[in-house]
Amino acid sequence: MRRSRLCRRLRRRPLSSYGARSTYRPRLWRHAGLLAASLLWLGTARAETLRLESAVADARPLVIYGVLDLPQMHPLLVDFHRRNPDIDIVYRNLQTIDLHARVLQQRAVPQADVLMSPAMPWQFQLANAGLSTPLETTSANAWPTWARWRQELFGVTFEPIVMVYRRDLAARMAPPRSHVELLQRLQAAPDQLRGRVVTYDPRLSGAGYTYAIEDARISARYWDLVQALGRSEAALEATTSAMLEGLSEGRYWIGYNLIGSYAQTYVANHPELEMVVPQDYALALQRLVMMLRDAPHPDTAERFVDYLLGEPAQRLLATQTSLGAVHPGVTGTGTASALRDAVGEAIRPVRIGPGLLATLDTLKRQALLAQWQQAFEGRAGGSRLSPDTASNAGPANNLPALEPASIESPLIASPSIESLPREGHPSEGPLSLFDPTQEPASP
Amino acid sequence: MSLAWPIRLSHLSLYRRLTVWLLLPLALLVAIMLIDARIGARDAADRAFDRLLDAASLAIAEQVRWQQNGLWLDLPASALEMLATDAEERVFYALYDAEGHYVTGNRPLPALPPAADGARMRYADRESDAMPLRLGVRRARLAGWDRSDRFEVRVAQTPEGREALAAQLFRASLLNVLVIAALALIGVMLAARFALEPLTQLRRAIRERDPRTLAPLTLTLPRELVELREALNELLARMRRVKANQERFIGDASHQLRTPLAGLSARAELALRQSDPERWREALVTMNDTASRASRLAGQLLSLTRLNDPEAALERERVDLVAIARACVRDTFSRLHRGGVDLGIEAPDQEVVISATAWQLEEALANLVDNAASYGATQVTLRVETTPARLIVEDDGPGIPESERLLALRPFHRGQETGSGTGLGLAIVDSISRAHGARLTLHATCPNRRERPGLCVVLAFADD
Repeated sequence: MRRSRLCRRLRRRPLSSYGARSTYRPRLWRHAGLLAASLLWLGTARAETLRLESAVADARPLVIYGVLDLPQMHPLLVDFHRRNPDIDIVYRNLQTIDLHARVLQQRAVPQADVLMSPAMPWQFQLANAGLSTPLETTSANAWPTWARWRQELFGVTFEPIVMVYRRDLAARMAPPRSHVELLQRLQAAPDQLRGRVVTYDPRLSGAGYTYAIEDARISARYWDLVQALGRSEAALEATTSAMLEGLSEGRYWIGYNLIGSYAQTYVANHPELEMVVPQDYALALQRLVMMLRDAPHPDTAERFVDYLLGEPAQRLLATQTSLGAVHPGVTGTGTASALRDAVGEAIRPVRIGPGLLATLDTLKRQALLAQWQQAFEGRAGGSRLSPDTASNAGPANNLPALEPASIESPLIASPSIESLPREGHPSEGPLSLFDPTQEPASP
Repeated sequence: MSLAWPIRLSHLSLYRRLTVWLLLPLALLVAIMLIDARIGARDAADRAFDRLLDAASLAIAEQVRWQQNGLWLDLPASALEMLATDAEERVFYALYDAEGHYVTGNRPLPALPPAADGARMRYADRESDAMPLRLGVRRARLAGWDRSDRFEVRVAQTPEGREALAAQLFRASLLNVLVIAALALIGVMLAARFALEPLTQLRRAIRERDPRTLAPLTLTLPRELVELREALNELLARMRRVKANQERFIGDASHQLRTPLAGLSARAELALRQSDPERWREALVTMNDTASRASRLAGQLLSLTRLNDPEAALERERVDLVAIARACVRDTFSRLHRGGVDLGIEAPDQEVVISATAWQLEEALANLVDNAASYGATQVTLRVETTPARLIVEDDGPGIPESERLLALRPFHRGQETGSGTGLGLAIVDSISRAHGARLTLHATCPNRRERPGLCVVLAFADD
């Protein structure tokens, strides 16, 4: 007899209750360190646990740390449990930074067996540092090479970064279908669109920062776009859900760089919105799964990851969740191959490779954000940041740092997580370092 | 134990020996080539992959600036991606300032001592956190107007890629070496077979010969085998001589035996024609005499054959010459005395012991004494001497002229046609003396007496 129990220890408060949606506030920077620490504390407090207990006497445990909401994760876990009734499953839904911090904290004696997170640079950093262990199964070996690294890190989902606009925008102008068209609209009618375009604030959101870096790598005209966004005083949000809410309420007309998996579900329930996968290029992020090297239960971990890479789990991802399936054998809507057929070569999955490490470099982040800020505020004219202008602007002092433990290697002597101040200023506004998945799949 | 295998090796055929001694150095050579290929492959892979460390560290170093009060780096993602090849190596980088303080990076990396030749780039293999790393450290200076601080870019990658390349290169050279080794092996075996071909020819030539022919081998052979062929031919020549001697001996022996037998037959025929018993008696006496001579001849022929048989093992024992001489006198004294011959002995009181075969010495003495009596001596003296041990038989007979003394040693040679000798006595003595390694000399007893100088036969034994 199988018995599954869904228990949520803590109900997560909706993010929007933490304050008004943020536009750029300079005084925030001074409290960056404290804010980061407070976020860590918040993340810990908001942990959710899903437990599927086995009815078998000598059940084997399996502990998964993930960044994926329970409604999306539940069908997968139930299916896995049905196929493996002898495994006691514990799934902990954490925030990205919290997951990273916990893994580093438990480095010597890990409690989790499997990590699953869309924060690709952070996951890659853990694997690169040698915390992961390779999986050698048939499905792991057959996994597409572009979606894996060293048999240790597997991209199991495929989620494009999209634009969302209101349908009534068509009455004023032709809706943008690509990055170039968005830039043209912004340049053609900066006053008409003033405050009506919304995107991630890369200084506050890790996801937004990652996309900014990838955008900048793909095209130098990205800086023209940032400049145009700044000129039309574009609104900056920290989460996809905040952007979607604003769009639905009519405050914004166009949203740029939203996570496709959330936008898709949201747009399906809000007919006034329309989702567009950009036709010149569309970034795609992947949720990276890895087994921990010193996992307490390597056998069950292996079975779970192998299951995730198998056709049944991938078909489930394509049909019952808004996450895209990667498995080449799974076709139809909700898969990477379907998206590729629709958009063609324009789809650009974020490459799983050492380039991701550059994203986490402290100085790199400061340099990019300084450049972004100057382009947005129209000071540097969108040109590449020179050291002199950068030093004049003083970004090193003014820019916030990401949570130290998440950026620097665990091997670097840095303030440990426990020694960070736990107090913060939650009322200062929503600050999401990298939290693309914390918004609800459906409102 | 270590001696076991060369001994076993001596049982190997020449072909195997040659192959083994050619293949051992070949195997050694192959092993050296393989070790060299392994090291070479490793070096080549390291050189190829160190270029990546060089390029990546250069790409990073070019982005280092001085800003406000510290080093500033806009890390190019391509520099890190450059470090990871198809083997998906783990990649680490770090920037250190002039004082060796960590500025940025994803892992602290160890410093390397400066290069002796002042090279900007240094490489080393390091183990870090149970992870083998290839480390590249670049020393550089800021290229600014106002500051030229030193700094170090350290990059590292795990060695999967270079190991794969080294293995691939090694496999290629392994194949080459194996092909060369196989060709060399075939060459060695063919060479050994060709080199040993003349030996096979020689063997075949010897085996295919008629066993009765003793003609010399006339095979064209390489220089090393010519000596062997000459030795074989010499042996064959000796065998030819021996065979000729034997044939002559058999001829002589049958001739010698036929004469008394023919005499016996004639005498018996003559007697049968008569009816006087007195005549019969005379005939019987003569026939008895002839028969005993023939019998003695046959006995001597037998002992000569036995003496000349090289395969008869001689059983040496300690023999007292004095005792032998006395025994000879005891046995023959009365017979000689009846024939009017005076036999005497001169011997020391103590024993004269040598290592010899007793019956042969007795035979020799008996022959010498009989010889002396047969050829008309009236006085025969046996003498034994110590230091050196010598056995001397003297007589006062007619002796042998100096020119015939060597011939006298040959079988069936009789100095005078008178007397009742068989012509074998001295030949037997000569054979026995040679079998004992003794020296046999003949000379006159009293050279002054012209008519009867007498004969003195000396058997000088070598000192034990």
